Amino acid sequence: MAAFEPVLTRNVFRPEVLTFAGYRQRGGYEGLAKALKMEPDAVIDEVKKSGLRGRGGAGFPAGLKWSFIPKGKDKPKYLVCNADESEPGTFKDRLLMERDPHQLIEGCAICCWAVQASTCYVYIRGEYVKSAEILERAIREAYEQGVLGDSVLGSGFKLDMWIHRGAGAYICGEETGMLESLEGKRGQPRVKPPFPAVVGAFGAPTVINNVETLANVPHILVRGADWYRSIGTDEKNTGPKLYAISGHVERPGTYEYPIGVTFREMLEGAGGMYKGGTLKAFIPGGASAPILPADKIDIKMDFDTVAKAGSMLGSAAVIVMDDTTCLVRAVARLAKFFNHESCGQCTPCREGTNWMELLLKRIEHGEGRAGDPQLLLSISGNVGGNSLCALGDAAIGPVRSLVQTFRPEVDRHLAERGCPFPERRFFA
Amino acid sequence: MPTVTINDRAVEVAAGTNLIEAGQKVGVQIPHYCYHPRLSVVGQCRMCLVEIEVGGKKMPKLQTACSTQVERDGMVVRTGTPEVAEAVKGMMEFLLINHPLDCPICDQAGECGLQDYSFKHGMAFSRFQFEDKRTYPGRERIPLGANVLLNMNRCIQCTRCVRFTEEIAKTGELGFFNRGARTEIGTFPGKPLDNPLATCVVDVCPVGALTSTRFRFAERVFYLDKKPSLCTGCDIGCNITIEHRKGDIKRYKPRYNPEVNDYWMCDYGRSTHERYKAVPRLLTPRIKGGDGASAAVSWKEALDLAYRRLRGLGEEGPVAFLGSGFLTCEEAFLFAQLADRVGTPHRAVPVDLGTRWTIPNLQGGISGEEAAPNRRGTELAGLAASSAATGTDALGAAEMLTGDGAAGCAVLVVCDSDFGRAAWDPETVARLRRAGFLLVFGWADSPLAQAADLALPLAHHAEKDGTFVNVEWRLQRFLAAYPAPGQMRSGVEVLTDLLGRFDSAWSRLDTAAVFDRLAAAVPAFAGLSWRHLPATGVELAVSQTSQAPPTPPGGGHPLTAEQISG
Repeated sequence: MAAFEPVLTRNVFRPEVLTFAGYRQRGGYEGLAKALKMEPDAVIDEVKKSGLRGRGGAGFPAGLKWSFIPKGKDKPKYLVCNADESEPGTFKDRLLMERDPHQLIEGCAICCWAVQASTCYVYIRGEYVKSAEILERAIREAYEQGVLGDSVLGSGFKLDMWIHRGAGAYICGEETGMLESLEGKRGQPRVKPPFPAVVGAFGAPTVINNVETLANVPHILVRGADWYRSIGTDEKNTGPKLYAISGHVERPGTYEYPIGVTFREMLEGAGGMYKGGTLKAFIPGGASAPILPADKIDIKMDFDTVAKAGSMLGSAAVIVMDDTTCLVRAVARLAKFFNHESCGQCTPCREGTNWMELLLKRIEHGEGRAGDPQLLLSISGNVGGNSLCALGDAAIGPVRSLVQTFRPEVDRHLAERGCPFPERRFFA
Repeated sequence: MPTVTINDRAVEVAAGTNLIEAGQKVGVQIPHYCYHPRLSVVGQCRMCLVEIEVGGKKMPKLQTACSTQVERDGMVVRTGTPEVAEAVKGMMEFLLINHPLDCPICDQAGECGLQDYSFKHGMAFSRFQFEDKRTYPGRERIPLGANVLLNMNRCIQCTRCVRFTEEIAKTGELGFFNRGARTEIGTFPGKPLDNPLATCVVDVCPVGALTSTRFRFAERVFYLDKKPSLCTGCDIGCNITIEHRKGDIKRYKPRYNPEVNDYWMCDYGRSTHERYKAVPRLLTPRIKGGDGASAAVSWKEALDLAYRRLRGLGEEGPVAFLGSGFLTCEEAFLFAQLADRVGTPHRAVPVDLGTRWTIPNLQGGISGEEAAPNRRGTELAGLAASSAATGTDALGAAEMLTGDGAAGCAVLVVCDSDFGRAAWDPETVARLRRAGFLLVFGWADSPLAQAADLALPLAHHAEKDGTFVNVEWRLQRFLAAYPAPGQMRSGVEVLTDLLGRFDSAWSRLDTAAVFDRLAAAVPAFAGLSWRHLPATGVELAVSQTSQAPPTPPGGGHPLTAEQISG
């Protein structure tokens, strides 16, 4: 493990890769050149073989997703790169876009070749102004250098790449909400099926991948699927992974590890607990992941192990909380986030997220009633699995884990008619 | 065609049929709010969650029936499992926690989707114990357009109205604004909801969020009696339900007919019943004496006089019949029989031209611009000038209405005192008055009726049975919503009475019998019978193309009450 050499972040401290020449010098665009010499299907097979799973949150096998795109030329096809990174605690894609934009462009180009899409949109979160500027500059240079445009690297393959900036809605990170927004409509998810691979952007087959997923692709092409599979826990959890660590740690930030690193190692890598505090709980995969207690410290941070532990790896945004944290307050804050970001079209999410926030605030403010924990479970049960998109499922993650795993803390709020933790600011 | 099993009942459906439609085929009602057969499927309300098993494998989550299509054999659907019941109960609860529950003052109460499904799927108490529900202060009565009012507090965000304006009216005035629990419906700046079909959004709204300014607070819907009828606003012949209380019409609502108006009707059509209340009615048979004063007489006296004048007992000279596009085919047929007995070729059906309305349907829409529902049927039944045996020198509508055709007539029979705007025009009335004897039938006490020597009060279309032939030559049947009050009698009753004096074989016939005689006499109606007319109507095999109708001066929509009194 100690011998792990960064893959995705290998260039982040080399500002010269912001230019085409610098990136090229570091071996850039070799994966694309190699891919263009292969049949598109062979590229898909290689990615399938690598075991690369989507880094956006759901962990769907990327190669499999690409293979769903129908062959043939009767309709245009699109790649949409999901750079709408807006889940609280997640800040990994930003690093990739700002420090190594050509890596992303190369990944996008390879994906477009594999599915024979000639247009790629990068949907960037509206607040990521700097990322958009840097990527825009890189795209311009890529056009000038013949990486994008009428003939990608002289192969005759035509590829255009556009940046589309969001307007500050979390829901536009949901893939179909993103497509609606991209088409100029109100950003709200579509009912599935049909899936985007069949009817996506502008009614055409569309692949939607996360920034980090696409950034993995050039390395798979250059170094081979077998090399890629050698990293990670098992054949289903392969490759390097970015973890965005925040909360009560000494050195919060984005860290690259082979997928499946234990949480303990990760915590040590981030300098340990803030001021030597005691770990109370941690969120392993962003705001939507159920909270895990401190005794899960040795968990392997890969998709399947975290799922088995009752949470999810999600976007791998690890939020660490020490024993001064009021979990009711933390979860109430997350509930507020989901209530604010619910698009409002489907009943359970629109009403359920609002109700959960009201209840959690009530408990935190000492006005909770005896049946409230049970009610929270019941409401979240009605939201989860019944909402139109995954936002409803996401919203209940922290709430259910609070009531199920940290019940004594909730009960203490009820019994003491208030929060036993010191008052903090920044809570509405 | 694939077979799907819903609650242990197998049914064969066309590939691509969604589960709500498939369920209806076997009598399984799947609750829904956002789904509407003519609007795009959005799966938003989550009320139609069902359990689905494909190939013996249960799907991990409940699925929305509206967005699930039957593509191949082997799908097993269950709507009654504890999981489904729990989920639907949960959705009901979510919809109600912030709903005002102001049913006692809500117009929708009685035909409200929330009420209906609450009784069936909801719970009797609330777990939402907070002081305040979510409200939209200042958004309780927002006029979206002239005819539609929005109360945002009651909205359940199903977006049927938004999709209606986008997909059916294709005007797109409405949109979803804000987000999450603050989501609301509204119009875009400077774009009020004033398309001709606007009030349809009130019909598609499953709750009381959108109400019609026309019907608002007019009546509790559970006190309304409903009868299938047809709109008389133009010659499209939209199928409607007349909703009235004790003969007081409160509203027209569109009635589904995929061949004509689908689920829709225009706002103008909805307003047409208001004339029945606003325009003064002819109350009794009325004779004008030698001194010009009118006197009420009995029906027997009145019909005896009419018979005498039509037989030519009094004054020699031609008799002319001025028809109307508001007559039913049966009435027109009886008038034509009368004209045949009298032996006159002088018959015409003047019809005003109004706005050209278009109602979207699956065939690409249907348009009509005549301001009366049945010019075609009236002419087919024998009131067109060409229907008479010797029609070469027959008087036309123009000669009667704008020329001095009436002056040469011994008797002028006006079949409808409200046949068009001309009946309210003093000059036209004076021209028609020059006939030797002016006999006027009709429901409205128009200037024409007041000028008549004999005026006979008939039922208007809500009070009579009959058939109309629409712009596409579709024959449609409608029924009286309630009996004509007082001395007013239906046209068929009066005309068979009068015709019976010429030929006893024609006395005391009901509408059905008259229709069957019409079917036997007129080739276009051959083979039809009143009892077996299909609910969606029947397209007549008419080879002739519709001619432009004779248009009297000052054509347009029937005068409103304000125009008459002003």
